[in-house]
Amino acid sequence: MSVIVAGALTQRFGSRLALGPMDLQVAAGERLAVLGDNGAGKTTLLRLIATAARPASGRLVLFGLDAGAQRERLRGRLGYLGHQPGVYEELSVRENLEFFAVLQGVSTQRVTEALEECGLAAVQRARAGTLSRGLQQRLALARSVLHQPELLILDEPDASLDSSGRALLGRLFRDRTVLMATHDRSLARELCSRGLLLKAGLPAGDPWALQVVNAD
Amino acid sequence: MARKDLRSEWRGRELLPALATFVVLALLIANFAFDLNGASVPRLAPGILWLVLVFVGLVAFGRSFAGEKDRGSLEAMLLTPAPAGALFAGKAAAAGLVLLATEAVLLLGMALFFGAPLSAAIVAISVAASLGIAALGSLFAALAAQTRAKELLLPVLVLPLWLPFVVLGGRALQEAFAGQAVSPEPSLLLLDLGVLFWIAAVLAARFVLDD
Repeated sequence: MSVIVAGALTQRFGSRLALGPMDLQVAAGERLAVLGDNGAGKTTLLRLIATAARPASGRLVLFGLDAGAQRERLRGRLGYLGHQPGVYEELSVRENLEFFAVLQGVSTQRVTEALEECGLAAVQRARAGTLSRGLQQRLALARSVLHQPELLILDEPDASLDSSGRALLGRLFRDRTVLMATHDRSLARELCSRGLLLKAGLPAGDPWALQVVNAD
Repeated sequence: MARKDLRSEWRGRELLPALATFVVLALLIANFAFDLNGASVPRLAPGILWLVLVFVGLVAFGRSFAGEKDRGSLEAMLLTPAPAGALFAGKAAAAGLVLLATEAVLLLGMALFFGAPLSAAIVAISVAASLGIAALGSLFAALAAQTRAKELLLPVLVLPLWLPFVVLGGRALQEAFAGQAVSPEPSLLLLDLGVLFWIAAVLAARFVLDD
């Protein structure tokens, strides 16, 4: 079953065509790395699929539901991490997650699990603003998986992460469909089963045959 | 949402001390700029109060959504299944409470610097007006936060819509500062307008916050 089906998807900023037209299919359990230079359209594509933005034209179906009309129903099934960690610096690590647990409708027990899963249990009482950028990124990752989403959409999640943080990404990707934008081709090779190279908002060459394919 | 915002503000102590300082400075300027005496205070005090309150509101409401947008947490919140109207109401309530806290400093400052009376009627009128000011201020702050020129856009959008509150509240406050009996009608009308704008703002929030 395809988790993501996009047909002739485009995005415009003013008169500039920032993405597409793009066709894309991602099957359940697949992990797709989105690669490309700055301005290639990686973030634009991820934001469209995360339902954070509406496309200028085209069709986007997620889990068999129209992403434009059913975005509220879909959001509990998506986990998105954007460019910025977006943490509340004055709140503790735990309070940050507890706040989002309320918004996601998940229990505080799940907060404890997410803290342990992401290696944040030891700093759960610390204010998020006092954490290093790498730990803030871990907190943002914990927030994005708090509600145990089926589809994980991550925009350069490796930013500021150390080697154990990269291993964490591998653990979080298990049993999930993943879309990850990154500049790090070795990370893409390590974690993803397929690659999509974007250039000026369009798939560059054969989108399914990027040389980072991991055969697993 | 409101608890989170108030907790962040309490711990960060950024907005409230800055607004309180602004209020005290504005009152000091007013003290020197106007010839304030026992006779002129009832006439001038409502004008000073609304001027200061309007500027405080622009900062308080502007910060509430712009801060979330700048740190990237607005998007994270909006991508949860929580209704946009509920998120908006929480943020507006927190910003409204910050406005009320600043209003308390303002009224106390006016009593201290100008010898202005501090009565239940004055407090009631100010609180009733703040309700609608908070709803509209937050709605347009949410809208302005989506744009690059948010600091410029918010006053242009919201000041004309705050005028009914300033006009109604200003007249009622003039009577209250003069020590006259104040009819409850202006306060009730302000309250009605406030409730109406809260409902409209919460309903409109999903369209404003949606990308």
